[in-house]
Amino acid sequence: MEPTITGPNRTGAAINPEGIASMLEAVNELSPPMPISTLNMDVERQRYIAEAESVGSIPPPQSVLKSTVARIKGVTAAAAMGILLDKLGERLAFERAGTRLYSALITKYLALSNADSAPLPPDARSEPAIDTLTRIRMQELEHFQMLSKCIETLGGDPTAQTPCADVTGTASIGLLQVVTDPRTTFAQSLNAVLTAELTDNAGWELLTELATLAGQSELAESFSEALAVEEEHLEIVKGWLRTLVTTSPGTPAV
Amino acid sequence: MTINLLQDKGIALSKQRMSWKDMVGKPISKLDDDAFTRVRIILMNGQELDSLRTKQVAIRMNRDARVQLAQLMRVEQHQATTINWLIGADHSPIETTIGYEQTAIEVTASVAQLEPDEYLAQGYRYALLEDFDHLYRYSALLDRLEGKDANNIVQGYTDIVPARATSEHHRAPEHDVLQPYGPEAALATKLHALTLTGGEYQTHDYYMNIGPVFADPLARQLYAEIASVESQHIVHYGSMLNPEESVLEKLLLSEAAEVWNYAGCAEQETNPRIKAIWERFLDYELGHFQVALQLFKDIERRDPESVLGNGKLPPFIQFESQRQFVRETIARETGLRKNGTDYVDEADEGRSSLDYRAAVNADGSPSTTVSSTYSWAPGTELTRAQVKAA
Repeated sequence: MEPTITGPNRTGAAINPEGIASMLEAVNELSPPMPISTLNMDVERQRYIAEAESVGSIPPPQSVLKSTVARIKGVTAAAAMGILLDKLGERLAFERAGTRLYSALITKYLALSNADSAPLPPDARSEPAIDTLTRIRMQELEHFQMLSKCIETLGGDPTAQTPCADVTGTASIGLLQVVTDPRTTFAQSLNAVLTAELTDNAGWELLTELATLAGQSELAESFSEALAVEEEHLEIVKGWLRTLVTTSPGTPAV
Repeated sequence: MTINLLQDKGIALSKQRMSWKDMVGKPISKLDDDAFTRVRIILMNGQELDSLRTKQVAIRMNRDARVQLAQLMRVEQHQATTINWLIGADHSPIETTIGYEQTAIEVTASVAQLEPDEYLAQGYRYALLEDFDHLYRYSALLDRLEGKDANNIVQGYTDIVPARATSEHHRAPEHDVLQPYGPEAALATKLHALTLTGGEYQTHDYYMNIGPVFADPLARQLYAEIASVESQHIVHYGSMLNPEESVLEKLLLSEAAEVWNYAGCAEQETNPRIKAIWERFLDYELGHFQVALQLFKDIERRDPESVLGNGKLPPFIQFESQRQFVRETIARETGLRKNGTDYVDEADEGRSSLDYRAAVNADGSPSTTVSSTYSWAPGTELTRAQVKAA
């Protein structure tokens, strides 16, 4: 566990001016600069996009609540139910992965604490940071379990991986890679978790709106409560990150 | 430290043990370590995997040596793990690819200059220009897909420009084969060919594994195209090897190649932690060599000196920028082509290669498409992109 400090970084052009001069000499001789055009790539990619099949399908609900989804204006009942279940599946997957993400963050925090380098002071409520982290992790778990029940209520299968769940899983791979890398600092890990929390906040907002449109006022209320909790998570993570980079540069946590 | 294959015993195979923790140590720093440390890691991972491959074939073909081969393979497996796991997780697959191509370029260029057989030296220079071109194509992909500068990986040691265009690398299989070295070839010649064959296998297998990991269809196309060329390179270098060598003779040479490469890495490594690994594994390989030597004597009843000469190791691969040699080779030999086992002018290229190439490029050339108008620039080509007023 080391602080991130100034050191022998070799990646930039400035570190090897002679080598870079030789590279540019070769470029001018063998691939001289011309107006940049990625048109050929773009056209080929568009062809693939036009011909592509979907990532996969939304698992059909076991019992369709027609009375519910029929209220969504301008959208067919089946499609509306589908998108609601898909986005519920996405949030479920995100909250479940979020629980694991916070577990990894807690492990990193404990490694720092065990090395007598407590990186964060208690918050305004005097809750020690480790307790806050544990509480957030528990709330992610609660949200995952609440969403499982919601999906069941709507006749869906909470164990299925919906397309949006799959895509959000792909998008989140990098976050987990950052937090689980032993070399990354607590602050670098928080930065990854901040990305997750920002996405999560927007996700709950959208889900609340979808539930409202579907006439599911009870669900919408639950989601609204979850959003309030996630908003607190976002503020905590942002606050910690700000505190660390402004007050503790050069320490192992940063 | 001068090693002699017939005199130095290393560490006995029975004493070579590693825990999982030993194998999964600290990776190198992508940002701070010298590019040639990564080059050596990639090279030696390739050597370990090829050493395993040799034994995997040998165990199918030699009843008497099976137990010893199994014992050797277990340690080689763990050595390969130790080395390959040194690559940090912050290398994206394309960044690792840039490292692979840099390794191919710098190692091949050094070997081409060390090789005493002019025909085979020509073979190294020929494929060098192709791997060199792959670096340019992959650098364009790295820049245009991930928005990253390939020089973050090559660190100013290796030029990023086209050579023989990748679209021209696609030959009919009969024109990939070379004339092999003979039984009287110098030990250096044997070790060079084996080292490059192992390197190309590794690169091919890596591209085959990571190609489907990409979402972007152009990346999937480029990896498909270049993996195919690396497969040709396996034939190109693999056909340099004397096909009349017995299986145990190949085993002996494989172990010798590992000793030679580890000794070269240990001598030139700048990261003390990695240097200690090379030194430890050099001792391991000397121990493996003893097992191979004994099998060769007991089963084949042949004199090892007939394969290894006096056991003195040839000069090592030089891990340093080979820019000048590569530039001269580009200027002189980019236009060369293959016809059977011969190197010929463009106009005399084997006819069946032209037909094959037309077929695989019929729907376009991924390497050409990806790199169209690409010029490497420090900090990516976006540093010179026009920003239009809103």
